[in-house]
Amino acid sequence: MSDTLQVIKDAVVNRQRNEIEGLVEAAIEGGIDPKTIIDDGLIAAMDVVGQQFSDSDIFVPEMLVSALTMKLGLEKVKPLLKREATEPKGMVIMGTVKGDIHDIGKNIVLMMLEGAGFEVVDLGVDLTVEKLVERIEAIGPDLLGLSALLTTSMPEMERVIQELGTKSFRNKLKVMVGGAPVSASFAEKIGADGYGADAAEAVKLARRLIDEIKD
Amino acid sequence: MDIKPDFEGRFRRVVNHQEADRVPLCEVLIDYSIQSQFLGREVSADDVEAQVEFWAGAGYDFIPIPVSMMTPGGVTDESKITRILREKVQRERPDEKDPKAWNLEFTSFIHEREDFEEFPWDAAAELDFSNLNRAGGLLPDGMKAIVVSGKIFTLTWMLMGFQNFSIKVIMDPQFVADVFRKVAEIQFSALETILARDYVGAVWVVDDLAFGTGPMISPEAFREHVFSWYAKMADRCHEENRLFIMHSDGDVTSLMPDIIETGIDLLQPIDPTCMDIVKMKKEYGDRISLVGNVSNELLRSGTVEEVKEYTRHLLREVAPGGGYCVGSGNSVPDWAKFENYMAMRDTTLKHGSYPITI
Repeated sequence: MSDTLQVIKDAVVNRQRNEIEGLVEAAIEGGIDPKTIIDDGLIAAMDVVGQQFSDSDIFVPEMLVSALTMKLGLEKVKPLLKREATEPKGMVIMGTVKGDIHDIGKNIVLMMLEGAGFEVVDLGVDLTVEKLVERIEAIGPDLLGLSALLTTSMPEMERVIQELGTKSFRNKLKVMVGGAPVSASFAEKIGADGYGADAAEAVKLARRLIDEIKD
Repeated sequence: MDIKPDFEGRFRRVVNHQEADRVPLCEVLIDYSIQSQFLGREVSADDVEAQVEFWAGAGYDFIPIPVSMMTPGGVTDESKITRILREKVQRERPDEKDPKAWNLEFTSFIHEREDFEEFPWDAAAELDFSNLNRAGGLLPDGMKAIVVSGKIFTLTWMLMGFQNFSIKVIMDPQFVADVFRKVAEIQFSALETILARDYVGAVWVVDDLAFGTGPMISPEAFREHVFSWYAKMADRCHEENRLFIMHSDGDVTSLMPDIIETGIDLLQPIDPTCMDIVKMKKEYGDRISLVGNVSNELLRSGTVEEVKEYTRHLLREVAPGGGYCVGSGNSVPDWAKFENYMAMRDTTLKHGSYPITI
């Protein structure tokens, strides 16, 4: 990796919001391909940030400010991308299931997915299965993320997945679940395609599920 | 088994790492529907007499009484802060009728410095002591009130909005410190009024500091903005010979050195979804006492036998030597099965006599 890309990566990891735009501009002027700046500088930085978060070396505030720093850099470079290079990694829609209005975890995961190059749509909280189906049919996402904080709203996740199973789009849609009371075994039991324990795991899972769709 | 309240001889003794006649029962909140089923008649938020009857009759040595801007459980419906926010919103937008407009679960108010300056802090600072005063005249012999206070961390980030709060913690720590100070000063100023009442045995701060995966902000930020205030509150409580109790959801393991340093006597609920209470007792049990750990999911969906078995496990593994009170993994909500709540309670009363022999 070039020194310039490493400096961009470090700036995101170290939350240097005031410096990131100048660094990205310098990289562009230096002739580095915009897509390389995004993939090897900005997105690569968020992978480091995600790992630091999983390892409890940093916490939500640090992660959010890194994500904002990454976004500032992305805004500089995005207009220069060729049309084909702007294709997102995949589209994710995400919401908190019916009976649950908690959204902190969902918002963090959305921000990290966006930082990883996914197109994201936030469906909000307290989502009925009918609303979810309507939005999936309208948007046609690759992935659906379901979040719950309350133990009592976990059964709603199962209900949603059962309902989705009756729809023709289910075989083209992967469903990932997460939230404080949710576990990998619960995800498997209710027929979800994957579970992420935290935002970094959710990003890894989303990449894996997109690869499965492409295969 | 004696169910008569004995705050000093049982609860305080056990919190001070000694064995008493039996292991105390301890909860910060039991839903009124559970209290109603226990008494066989309606118990409501305003009926302090019935509440005292429940807590004493069910075997607790205290009744928890909220005196704070934000009420545990009914965070947004019953809280003082909700009324203040509704008045603020309707002053600015008289036609606004949607409760989400002043519900901190859906919205936030202090985004920038001018929001902080304009916030109705004086109105928010007028705390309601009426339930505490009523309870004071109703307590049977041996029973005390525990005042549920605090929410310094939770209220601060809820007023600011979590995302905005998180960003400002890094980018404008002075602004965040000012909001924390304002919220904490209100709670702290109430402390003298609380401690002046001799029937108050402890102060219980209820403030969720962690997710299931660990702290919500860094231990350094907690030290700077939150624990400094709790240390002051703990010191005042100890000067007046009162206990200082803390509730936090989530995995607080990495915060334990700070929690202990702060002077917290009793930590609740040792969230069973992410913490191992047996390990916690071994590692920290000589410096802090523990409460809880009977999973709320177990109370909701488990069988009576499963609840009994887990309660026996806690009595066997955690209760010997004192320093542990039986309780739920959070609080006892309306969706807990009544028979499971009773199984936890009855098992404690049946098998919780010291020395533990099960």
